This record gives sequence, C-alpha cells and structure tokens, in this order.
Amino acid sequence: MIRFYLAFYVAKIVKAILRCLHRNATQVPGRVALSICPNFLEYIAKPNTIITVTGTNGKTTVSNLILEILEANGKNVISNKFGSNINSGIASCLLSGASFFNKAKNEIAVLEMDERSSLKILPYLKPTYLVCINLFRDSIRRNAHADFIFNIINSALSKDTKLILNADDLISSNLGKENSKVYFGINKLETDLKESINIINDARICPKCGTKLKYNYVRYHHIGNAYCPGCGYKSPDADYKITNIDYEKNIITVEHEKQIYNYNMISDSIFNIYNMLAVITLLQEIGIEPEQLQENFKNHKIVESRFSKKNINGINVIKHLSKGQNPIACSCVFDYIKKEKGSKEIILLLYDYFDAKESSENMTWLYDCDFEFLNTKSIEKIVIGGPRCQDFYLRLLIAGVNKEKLVCAQKPEDTAEYLSLNNKNDIYVLYDVYTETIANDVCKKIENRINNEVSIEENDQAV
Amino acid sequence: MAKIEILYPEICNLYGNMYNIKYLQQCTDEIEVFETALTDKPKFLTENIDMVYIAPMTEKSQELVIEKLKPYVQEIKNQIEENKIFFAIGNALEIFGDYIENEDGTKIEGLGITNLYAKRDMMHRYNSLFLGTIEDIKIVGFKSQFSMSFGDNSKNYLFKTEKGDGINKQTKFEGVRINNFIGTYVLGPILILNPQFCKYILNLLNVGIDKLAFEDEVTKCYRIRLKEFENPKTIYD
Repeated sequence: MIRFYLAFYVAKIVKAILRCLHRNATQVPGRVALSICPNFLEYIAKPNTIITVTGTNGKTTVSNLILEILEANGKNVISNKFGSNINSGIASCLLSGASFFNKAKNEIAVLEMDERSSLKILPYLKPTYLVCINLFRDSIRRNAHADFIFNIINSALSKDTKLILNADDLISSNLGKENSKVYFGINKLETDLKESINIINDARICPKCGTKLKYNYVRYHHIGNAYCPGCGYKSPDADYKITNIDYEKNIITVEHEKQIYNYNMISDSIFNIYNMLAVITLLQEIGIEPEQLQENFKNHKIVESRFSKKNINGINVIKHLSKGQNPIACSCVFDYIKKEKGSKEIILLLYDYFDAKESSENMTWLYDCDFEFLNTKSIEKIVIGGPRCQDFYLRLLIAGVNKEKLVCAQKPEDTAEYLSLNNKNDIYVLYDVYTETIANDVCKKIENRINNEVSIEENDQAV
Repeated sequence: MAKIEILYPEICNLYGNMYNIKYLQQCTDEIEVFETALTDKPKFLTENIDMVYIAPMTEKSQELVIEKLKPYVQEIKNQIEENKIFFAIGNALEIFGDYIENEDGTKIEGLGITNLYAKRDMMHRYNSLFLGTIEDIKIVGFKSQFSMSFGDNSKNYLFKTEKGDGINKQTKFEGVRINNFIGTYVLGPILILNPQFCKYILNLLNVGIDKLAFEDEVTKCYRIRLKEFENPKTIYD
C-alpha cells in the first residue's frame, strides 16, 4: 500500500502541475501512477457503480450517451470522455474522482475501455457492468482478429460483473460463460439477408463444435441470428429487443418483459440503432425508468465529431467518421451511403496520417473492406485524397467501380476541387480519426465552393 | 483451364488474402476456383487440381485445419514431390511445419512437411514491412503476426530479405519453397502488391496472359511502394 500511496500523491502532484500549465491531464498522471504502482487501478477509490463500455465499433458513442443521460437524470458521474480509453486514461480518470484521502467523490463511473487493454484494466477494476457492443476484426497491426480480442476480454472478466451483450453478435454474445448476462437485439428486419454479402463473416462455424452455422438471417457481417445444426448452439434470446424501426417517424420500438416503449432515434444507421439499444438496456438495468429515457432521447443526436450534416444552398454536406484500418466500420458506412436516397459524391480521407509520415501504411485492410458497396449507380464520383490514394483507386477498380468516376488527389486538401457540385448530389466526406482536422478544412472548402458556384435558384431549377 | 482449390475459406480468410485468388480470376478466364469447406474432403486428393491455396487464420483455426489435413499428410507429400502447387500465406505456412509451440511450452503437432516449427507470442504482435527478392523480382509486402517460424530454410527459402526479417528476426531467409510448395508470411495481398510475382505464379499455373487486370494501376502502386520501401528513412517496424 505504501507504493500505492506514493503513486497516488505523485500522480496528484503531476496532475496539479499539468493543470497549472493548462493541460488536460487525462493521460500522464495515470501513466505516472501505473509506472510507480502497476496495480494502481486495484487500490484507487472507485464509485459504487462502475460501467465499462467496450467493443470494436460504437464504444465512444455508447459511453457518451450513457454519461449524458445519467447526468441529465441528476447522477453524479465521472467519465474518461475527454481522456484515453487505455489503462493510463482510466487511471487518470479515477484519480480525478478520488479525494485527497482516496475516497470516491462520484456515485457512478462511465468508462470507455479499449478492448485490447482489457487485461490491464478489468482484473483490477472489476466493473459492476460491462457493455460489449460487438466484436469484429479491427486494425490488423494491433487487434489481429476478433477471436484474439474475445479471448483477451473473456480471460480478464470478473465473475461478478454483469454483462450487457449483443444477442445478434455471434462472437461477443459468448463472453462470460459464468457471468450474469442481459442481452439486447433487433428482431428480424425486412432488409435482412439469408447469406452474408460482406467479405468478412467471422462467425461461420459453431464455436462449440465447428459445424457450419445456419443463419436464420444475416444483417451485416456476422451480425444476425444463427444456430448450429450439429450441437444445438444458437443465438441467445434478447431480453431487450427492438420489434420495429419506423424510419419515416424516426422511432424505434423496444420490448422488455412485455412492456413496449417507443424512442426517438439518434440516427437512422443500423449500427447507431444498436448503440442506442445498448444504452437503453444498460440504463434500464441500473434503474432509469423507460419513460424518463423516452424524454432523454428526444433531444439526442450523434456527436458532431462523428457525424454532421449541413445544407448549403440546397446541397447536403455530410461529414462521417469512417475509421481507416477498420474494415467493418468502413463497410458499414459504405453500405449506409449506398442505401441512402439520391445521387452522391464521396471524398475518401481514410489514410493513416501517422504511418504516412514515417513509414508505409499496411493496406491489407482494403481487401477485407466492402468497397464493392461503392460500386453503385447513385454514387457519381469518388475523390480519394492522401498519400495512399493510388491504393484506394486500385481497390475501387477491383471492386468494379468505373474509372470515369474516380479521381486521385495526392494532397488531401485538394479533394474539394474535384467535386462536380451538380444535380444536387449529396456530398459525403469520410474521414479517419487522424484526418478529422483535414476533413474539417475540406468541408470548409466545399462550403466556399458551393457558396461561390451554386446559387439556391440554380439548384431549384435543377430539381 | 487451371484449377485452384481454396481450402477452408470459412475460417482461413484473414487480412484480405482471399483477394489473391479473386485477383487472379480478374486477370484471366482461364482459372476455375473451388472452395472446400471444413466438412468436405479436399478435392486435390481425388481430382486434378493445379494449385491448393490456404490463407491465414486464427490460432484456434490452425488446430482445426491440422486435424482436418492430418489424415492426408502422405498424399500431400506425394503431390509436392510431383510438383503440385501449394500456396500457403501467413500462419497457414505453420500448419505444414513440425509443430507450433505455445508460450507455456505446449506443442501442437503439425503436418511435418517443411521441417520448420513455429513459436507463438500472443502478447507481442510483430508488425513490419518487407522488401525481398525472388530471382530478379523485387517483392514488397507487410508482416503482421503473433508467431514466427524457426529451423533451417537457408536452402529452401522463398524470398531473400533485403529489408525487414525472414521467417524470424534472426534470419534473412523468408518463407519456404519445396518444389512448388510455396509458403510465406508476406501479406499484401501479395499478388496484388507484386505484379511480377503475380505473373510468376500464373506461369507456374501454366496460364499465359498478355496483361494483368488493371496492370497499369497495379504497377503504379508497386512502384510507389517499392520507392517507399527502398527509402532508407522508412521505418520498417
């Protein structure tokens, strides 16, 4: 314990100094604490209720929503919203929430957790709830494959943690054999398929006996409902299930224990509907009444850093996060755009900014990602920006996209110049976490071009 | 018409490597592809197949694949002797080795064909660029793996490494070549990243073509990457 208190007070001092220097102090104090006391997370004072949120895609959105709704309901919450989601970020967060005498100042902690870091966090934190939204392939360099990440989380779980899991995810739904579990899921939709059309489906064989799984329906990748004809293994039944999605009225219907409630959607993309359902499930489990949640969801939208839509002189400019190196996230966004009404032009800014500076980016992920979804009539032009534009260009050709639709811009900031800005095309700017600043500049250039070149009257005539 | 059999694509499909074969199909109509599931007996045992292809997989899947292929070890050896093309990418190469060793020392017996063995280190992923040669062809690609192979491949390597590592960090000999058994850790997909090597494989298959699919674009990407990889300032891992 001496080591812990040494770490605790040194980290507090480091934090105070950083604050004096107007720094966020969301990472360094935790790193210092962990370097002095590797099991710092075990001894640091924690709120009575700890909610950890993990998964390949959606954990930031889900964590932020949980935090905002808990705060809107008057709860005293601490979170790592502005810090990192690895062990040092979580240590910094809990340090902030601990008094000088190591007493927890908050009643609830909402902690977004990097799934790869589970072994360094979960055994010490022993959270009350763990929400795992999904598990997919992610960065080849860091996360390798979904089975690897599944094993990491599974081996780090405390038996006392209640799991909030996605019943429609044939991988993460198998987490925590001995844990108490609550499942969320979406009933069969009209748009569901019998066979996966994605390049990747990492749940094709039964995890118990290896027999080929039979899908009752597939939504995307391995998300769906399946059973094993060999041993009887099947997708779990959802405790909280969406029974209807009304895209016109922007409403989802959620059923739990025969009670039915409608909620305003935060976004009409299927992956964000799952995110929303995970939030509803967790919050109802910790005692927030559904009537209250209905009110909370009336005013929520996806945060602007992930999705924004602006209408400029009649042209929609949509900025959408689409994580590079993450083939599932990009495939989902491509599928979403493909299914949106109207004609479109797309700017792709999906290269790895840091790899481009000193090394050469590993581009294998392009061939796990469904660029074929962009081979559709409604997408009239694709402008590819950045140092790897030729690789994207080739991938799009292999996906069947016509050469005439493609433009390469080595300098990403030049991409806006190549847009046609005609026929009232919606413009999508897809960017990686590391290219957001560039995406913002590109959006400004698009806005300037529209303001200078397209008048509202012109567009009215085009209609 | 060349016949390619893809073994167990439902589990052997990591890191974009299914596109090696999809790309070959885009290059020529002279290729017929068969996919064999875990529940099926491999076609190459009973039919005239020109190339057997197997892509990287999870560690759990490696064990399943070894179990499935074990009854056919002698037949695989015979076919390698007879110059059948086997093309194993990433950790699929390890299936054909003597054994795969876990961190705790436990071993999974392999098919015993290459005289190599592999060691896993699941908490330390190895990532690197690769620059090497086969004959006068320069090869570019990526490595991203938990395991490495060991043993003497100095007389039967596939690529000679110029920059990066061979089958492990202590050797500059990458992959293995036994007659037309070809195994390499180099990812890409390797046939899309390396147009000349793609032609080399098509020659092995006895498929003559004038031009690869999107040859100009593939070659442009290759040249850009080669220049980056040859740049002394480029960080490899």
